[in-house]
Amino acid sequence: MTRYLRLVRIFTGATISAQLEYRANFVGAVLASLGEVGVALLGIGVVFGQPGTTTVGGWTFREALLVTGFFMLTEGFISVFIQPNMSKIAEAIRTGSMDFTLLKPIDAQFNVSTRHLNVMRLPDILIGLGLIAYAAAGLTVTPGGVLSALLLYASALVIVYCIWLGLSTTAFWFVKTQNVTELFNGVFGAARFPATAFPVPVRFVLTFVVPVAFVTTVPAQAMTGRLTPTLALASPLVAAALFALTRWFWRRAVASYTSASS
Amino acid sequence: MTAAWNKVRVLFGAQFALMAEYRAEVVIWMLSGTLSLVMMLVWMAQAAAAPGGQIRGYTSADFATYFLSTWLVSQLLVVWVAWELDFEIRQGLLSPKLLRPLDPMWQHYLGHVSERFVRFVPMLGLVALFAWLSGARFTGEWWAYPVTLGLCVLGFSARFLWEYTIGLLAFWTESSTSFQEIVWLVYAALGGMFAPLAFYPEWVQRIAVWTPFPYMLGLPAQLLAGKATLAQAGQGALVMLGWLVVFWCLRLLVWRSGLRKYGAVGA
Repeated sequence: MTRYLRLVRIFTGATISAQLEYRANFVGAVLASLGEVGVALLGIGVVFGQPGTTTVGGWTFREALLVTGFFMLTEGFISVFIQPNMSKIAEAIRTGSMDFTLLKPIDAQFNVSTRHLNVMRLPDILIGLGLIAYAAAGLTVTPGGVLSALLLYASALVIVYCIWLGLSTTAFWFVKTQNVTELFNGVFGAARFPATAFPVPVRFVLTFVVPVAFVTTVPAQAMTGRLTPTLALASPLVAAALFALTRWFWRRAVASYTSASS
Repeated sequence: MTAAWNKVRVLFGAQFALMAEYRAEVVIWMLSGTLSLVMMLVWMAQAAAAPGGQIRGYTSADFATYFLSTWLVSQLLVVWVAWELDFEIRQGLLSPKLLRPLDPMWQHYLGHVSERFVRFVPMLGLVALFAWLSGARFTGEWWAYPVTLGLCVLGFSARFLWEYTIGLLAFWTESSTSFQEIVWLVYAALGGMFAPLAFYPEWVQRIAVWTPFPYMLGLPAQLLAGKATLAQAGQGALVMLGWLVVFWCLRLLVWRSGLRKYGAVGA
């Protein structure tokens, strides 16, 4: 365990020093972050801007803003931690450098999941935390609510990681996966609104088929103290099941790997 | 004249063959542009929950029609040339293209146009499916369809030119594609991807009518929904033609000075 923690530290140091070489890119990353938060805020701003509109799907503006905060935070988490790693899986399989990863005396899934970071998108995470803090300041939030939100958000992150890893693992057979993750981003865009803002059939899809409702809506519900026990239990269960499933899928994929040249 | 026509024909044929290779990807790209659809679902639920079943005169079915139309129009306006230029300039792939007796812009332009033809049939299928699911109803006036198509051609050309100009910034900066994200935000906001323009604050609307954006996305969508007149379409076309001239000159200016910079570093 300590060995893996030390490895995370070494990976992080190496990737940060590599990225600080390109300082001009930072301007671009900040612009992109501003674009993201602009889209998210305009989306809910216009809906709430209509005369007579006080709630969307039973959520007040502050509460919906909390969901947007979790959405931005997750976007940041994806672009800092998940995407830089997952996008390299397909490349490693195509070029054959996956061989080296598999030969190393550490768990290959751990290696491909933690090797890279994109520190340029850290502003997304800060914007998300800022939005959550701002929204929570105008709501009655109990310490217990914050704690359960933290726990549920942890399982939300596991869910997101598993979906990405599952999609990227298909690269062992299809070689090209960029488009599939593009599709995930499209569906994930729905998470900027509370799940109850959608018509009932769509709500069902967002909860059970592509579980994005667990990622933003459920932690926000926990924070405002209106979480049902069923949902509170469902989120970690879904996360655990997905983790086991993707772990199994990853092992199967590695077992069927035949390198680039053979 | 025939020489120019030959160039167009050959380029179009080659680009169409290239794009047809990517037909599976084209469908995935179409499905990944979901912002209109997300907004559609939210507004439909809002209208259904509102007293009287409508917001500012829009019922749930009206919202479905409007947003499905913006989705359709935005599919026809998709432009990715900034990414390609960024890549070409950085990798030096632009150099061999400069030897041809043709501005490299036309190859990109026809590439985008030919992709529209690959996109068209699956797009109509998806629109029919979504319309059936959401209860959207398009206008019965036949003239609205050719007029919408005309506006889309103008809108696409305008967007292509400004994206091309942004892509050319790669001569100077590495973050040209991030500028594109900001411009996309303005286009989506003022174009009416989040809500019909009438839903925005008064002062935003007053600024927006001078920009090309509402006429690219919102106006064609309103035409398809049967909520805009021929006169409004004509007025929008005139404003867009004006902007086309502006973007054209801007593109030429940036291209010429960028090329000097490109040549100067010996690439």
